[in-house]
Amino acid sequence: MAEWNAYYRNEDDEEEQEEGEQSGGDYKITGRDSLVFLVDASKEMFIKGEDGQPSNFDMTMQAVRSVYTSKIISSHRDLMALVFYGTEQSKNPRNSFKHVYVYHDLDEPGAKRVQDVDALQGEKGGQLAAETMGSGETSLGDALWCCANLYSDIKLRLSHKRLMIFTCRDEPHGGNSTKDRQARTKASDLKETGVVIDLMHLMKPGGFDVSIFFRDIVSPPEDESELGLQLEPCDKLEDLKKRVRAKEQKKRAMARLNLCLGEGLNVAVGLYATAVTARKPGAIKLYRETNEPVRSKTRTFHTQTGSLLLPSDIKKAQVYGKKQIVMEKDEVDAIKKFDDPGLLLIGFKPMEKLKLHHHVRPAVFLYPEEGEVKGSACLFSALLTKCSERNVFALCRCISRRNYPPRFVALVPQKEEIDEGKVQITPPGFNVIFLPYADDFRTLDPPQFPTASQTQVDKMKEIISKLRFRYRSDAFENPVIQQHYRNLEALALDMMAPEDVEDLIMPKAEQMDHRLGPLAQEFKDLVYPSDYNPETKPAAKRKTADTGGGAEKKPKVEVSEDELRAHVQNGTMGKLTVPVLKEACKQVGVRTTGTKKQELIDALIARLGS
Amino acid sequence: MAGSKSALVLCMDVGFSMSNSGPGEEPPFELAKKVIQKFVQRQVFAETKDELALVLFGTEDTKNPLALDRQYQHITIHRHLMVADFELLEEIENQIHPESQQADWLDALVVCMDLLQKETKGKKYDRLNIALLTDLNAQSSSDHLDVIIENLKRAGITLQFFLPFPVKDDEEGGGNGGRRSPGHPGTGKGLSMEQKDSVDMMKHIMLTLDEEDGLDQIHTFRNAIEQLRMFKGIERRPMAWPCQLTIGSSLSIRIVGFKAVTEEKLKKIWATVDAQTAQKEDVKRETVYCLDDDNETEVQKDDTIQGFLYGSDIVPFSKVDQDQMKYTHDGKCFAVLGFAKENTVRRHQFMGNQVIKIFAARGDEHAGVALSAVIRALDECKMVAIVRYAYDRRSNPQIGAAFPCIKRDYECLMYVQLPFTEDLRQFTFPSLENNKKFTPSETQLSAVDSLIDSMMLVEEDENGEKRDMLKVHHIPNPAFQRHFQCLHHRAVCPGTPLPPMESWLKAALERPEVISERCQAPLEEMKKKFPLTQVEKKKKLKTSAQIFGKDSEVPDAKKAKGDDEEEEEEYNLADIAEGSVTSVRIRGARNHLNVCQQLTHRIEQLLGNKNTHYYMKSITCIQAFREQSVKVNKHSLSSIWEMHDHFTGLDSCCLTDAITLISKDEVDGSFVSKNEANQFLVAEEKKEETTAPPAEDTGDFDDLVSVKLLPDMHFCPEGLNVRMQMSHNIVQNFFLKPV
Repeated sequence: MAEWNAYYRNEDDEEEQEEGEQSGGDYKITGRDSLVFLVDASKEMFIKGEDGQPSNFDMTMQAVRSVYTSKIISSHRDLMALVFYGTEQSKNPRNSFKHVYVYHDLDEPGAKRVQDVDALQGEKGGQLAAETMGSGETSLGDALWCCANLYSDIKLRLSHKRLMIFTCRDEPHGGNSTKDRQARTKASDLKETGVVIDLMHLMKPGGFDVSIFFRDIVSPPEDESELGLQLEPCDKLEDLKKRVRAKEQKKRAMARLNLCLGEGLNVAVGLYATAVTARKPGAIKLYRETNEPVRSKTRTFHTQTGSLLLPSDIKKAQVYGKKQIVMEKDEVDAIKKFDDPGLLLIGFKPMEKLKLHHHVRPAVFLYPEEGEVKGSACLFSALLTKCSERNVFALCRCISRRNYPPRFVALVPQKEEIDEGKVQITPPGFNVIFLPYADDFRTLDPPQFPTASQTQVDKMKEIISKLRFRYRSDAFENPVIQQHYRNLEALALDMMAPEDVEDLIMPKAEQMDHRLGPLAQEFKDLVYPSDYNPETKPAAKRKTADTGGGAEKKPKVEVSEDELRAHVQNGTMGKLTVPVLKEACKQVGVRTTGTKKQELIDALIARLGS
Repeated sequence: MAGSKSALVLCMDVGFSMSNSGPGEEPPFELAKKVIQKFVQRQVFAETKDELALVLFGTEDTKNPLALDRQYQHITIHRHLMVADFELLEEIENQIHPESQQADWLDALVVCMDLLQKETKGKKYDRLNIALLTDLNAQSSSDHLDVIIENLKRAGITLQFFLPFPVKDDEEGGGNGGRRSPGHPGTGKGLSMEQKDSVDMMKHIMLTLDEEDGLDQIHTFRNAIEQLRMFKGIERRPMAWPCQLTIGSSLSIRIVGFKAVTEEKLKKIWATVDAQTAQKEDVKRETVYCLDDDNETEVQKDDTIQGFLYGSDIVPFSKVDQDQMKYTHDGKCFAVLGFAKENTVRRHQFMGNQVIKIFAARGDEHAGVALSAVIRALDECKMVAIVRYAYDRRSNPQIGAAFPCIKRDYECLMYVQLPFTEDLRQFTFPSLENNKKFTPSETQLSAVDSLIDSMMLVEEDENGEKRDMLKVHHIPNPAFQRHFQCLHHRAVCPGTPLPPMESWLKAALERPEVISERCQAPLEEMKKKFPLTQVEKKKKLKTSAQIFGKDSEVPDAKKAKGDDEEEEEEYNLADIAEGSVTSVRIRGARNHLNVCQQLTHRIEQLLGNKNTHYYMKSITCIQAFREQSVKVNKHSLSSIWEMHDHFTGLDSCCLTDAITLISKDEVDGSFVSKNEANQFLVAEEKKEETTAPPAEDTGDFDDLVSVKLLPDMHFCPEGLNVRMQMSHNIVQNFFLKPV
């Protein structure tokens, strides 16, 4: 039986791989990611900013909430915890630490937690925090120790452990060197067990000096090259969220490959999916009585004998030209194999040869893997510099996984960009654009039209400039997914009704109309004749240029009842088109709800045939 | 649509002159046969509705309806008009041979015309075509030439000629005197009188049918084979998507969208069939649901409801509720949200797998002008429209960009999907520039420069025109080509292994030859300038030391002792089912005995499977077991070795991992000395060579302990048997003494 399980599991795995971007190549992910928010709850955190700016604490809670909700959507299996330090009250597993308040134990985030964090936001949130936890003495050492316990109490395998400290105090212990030392020791203990400690330092009057204390607490950058400590503290919520998000996502290569420039010149690279269509998660089946999840088992068996079929009892087949062609499953895989996985450099082309419409799937990102082949980063960097300098892209043949047929790809150089807040906006590397084959183009027969005159174009330009905005790729939430999660949230929390989702991709018609003012009408006057109505349904289709856009002609679709009867008798109803049939239905007074041709025909025959 | 098919008669000369060829050349007959085969293959795999007939002439027999009064002799209708299938392919392969007669090709043409006329009657065809494959070497009378041409014209039948030799450019055009080189492949010798006459007649026909391009339809066999080698691409009829482009609430333009570029997939998927009967119906897949309990209690599908995960919470959420609460919208739409600078929409953020071209609604000139104004205005401002796109009411709306596209003969908008917030993953990567280690030197950069120079695929030729050496979008999808090649092979030659990839396809996926020659030197330079060293991969298998070093102290205070056993059992089972046992954990030393028993049991089970894979797992178990035993100072249960029954594969594995027996050095109180323990391994080796009984003397063999011999052992069944016996002996000798 063990074999059976293994077999089917494999098949499932394959499916996952098809859509899955995370597993690939020989790189297997085990264990879960974890993230602990360690938040300073001292009085300083609650001081409101000028002009009604939210307090640091408030900002932190909003950032935490956004991570919670995004984790629920993107990777709900990850574990999260929320711990406050510098509190008056204490609450931790064995209550062995004073002034440390574990608000959320390390666990998968759920609806309840989001609500909890919501409650801590704003003015009321501040009050609630003061009531439940209060502000007291600070011992970061104890807090870190407590967090270490959280990690060690977890019986699951953790693949990535991260701890983020949110504070606005650069000297948490007010110069108490014993406590400082204790905190350093605990921090290094944590780091030894693989925990990465980040500092999310917030605005403080007089500036936040990382070098006084925190430099020794946080993890050193992954390698020398990393940007390292953000030296400027965050003062904006957006910045904080961005920073948290940038740190919180663990990047994983979907494949590690060799980029082969020539015989014996292999650069190790990793492929990263930076944009993957997020879908509504699949439903799981529950047992009606108990609401517990059920597992599904799929079995393949012989229809006649009912015996289970082993993989060796099964072959694959396709029918072509009335003939069934049978192959072994192995052969089916072998057909797809062209070469071992890897990228082969074919040559270079100037950027203008990369056509906008040569798009068949979302791009992936390429970055060197110094850990696999030493020297990769240097060569990669040289290639990147030169390609971008000369404005060329590298054309490669790409086999991304075992038994995957090849695709040609364009490696488009991308220079690193950093925003004012020192946060990387675009990482350095190549974007891998997948190119279409000849089969991927469809032959179209483009209709011919006269082109617009310059006055018409100019009017449209005015419209365009009235409606211009700055496009940001992360500005639009998917209303379908958002609605789905609001619904779940409402059900999970017994809310009366789900929170309203603002459909961000709905045009704001009113605002647009307002901004356009008379322009829309002016444009219409320029391009449309006065009696033209683009809103009219297909009927208008019949109108051709030579009618001069004149009065709408009634579509000539009627057939006389006699003709209809003749059709019915001869069984040639099928020759009539749907609009004609619909018209005929009206004519003879048949009420039909159907829109399918056969339904209409049936209805007519029923009426006229009798 | 039913009317979109064509009818085609393949008319092949099989007469004796077709078998004549110059030395070392393939006879025209074989070439013509290949042309037909390739053509029919393409038809079969493209699954067109086109109908084919096959007429042979020059046959011994005569089989055609016009054959009366010794007219139209030696012409056979081999197959009537019908859709191509494998039967036809097999017939071509096996039943068409060169024959010894000659027939008039004009007569054959008449037979074909007659066939087309009779068999297409009452049906609708796009195109009627006759393809004539012949060497034109038979005498033919030009008596009825005009009548034939007249009939061809009237019936709208087009003609194609396939010949062993080229005719275009010679004699034609009078003045330029470009005479055909006599050495052209396939010609072999100068044309005979009959052929010359025939060529003239053929030209006459073709030019009368189509004055300008008539001669374009005369091909050589070789060219045809060349062009037909690719399997036909998958053709799909573009579907029009009529909609309205809206800007605000009052401005709308009637548009129609077409998918222009999309990742095409094969139409057919593999069906699962029974290996014996090759019947799809004999295999059934069934999904059952069961509770996640010990008995895996089955649950009826009707007794399940659906739910979703919200983080850690499971939310029961019935289909009905879901449909009621889900996001709904007004359906089909192409609404402008606003306009943005073109450069803010990044190429690498394109989502989805298609590009839609948007035109004004067909026949609506006003819409055409309005859309043209939009396209041109966008183009002049270097802007794009950000739009909300929804295909219909059932599909999810998207956000996307409409780019202006102005071509010589048409204008359109190109729509591409853009990401939602949820789709993006903002990864940060270490900077490459600010790191001294990775910063390339000037010489390194110039090496890359010359590599790029040598590998530029786009070059200017003498006339200053840019020439692209490799147009990827002209290459057919190699996956489809290979797929059809293999299917075809399996269908025609069942029982033989799959063929190698066709060489032209292989070449299409490599560097162009010019490039690979040109880049040799710069590549060598690169190799010198950029040292690359493979980093040693970390060992995949963890050593037991690692396993026990840290992980063995997994605290588990909660679990009662009784539970432990089951826990452990489950743990193992789970791992084994996953096929990824790489670590074995043993909780605390407390219940070592217990654990030992379990492990023994587990190993026995594993070994029962008699399969290398499982042996490897048992090795891990044994290693764990051994380590643990050493640690806890309880050599006690070397009883593992009792399982000599299963030692066949196991002991060789033991050697690999150098599992020696637990010796005194490691555990006081073990009655096995280190020497003896090592000897366990050594004895194995010795046995290989001598088959002598194990040396009882405790000679110093330490140096000999090695695992080198191992690979050979796997292939040496006798050796194994001997060693099995050996192991048994050793076990008897050393371990089964009462403690």
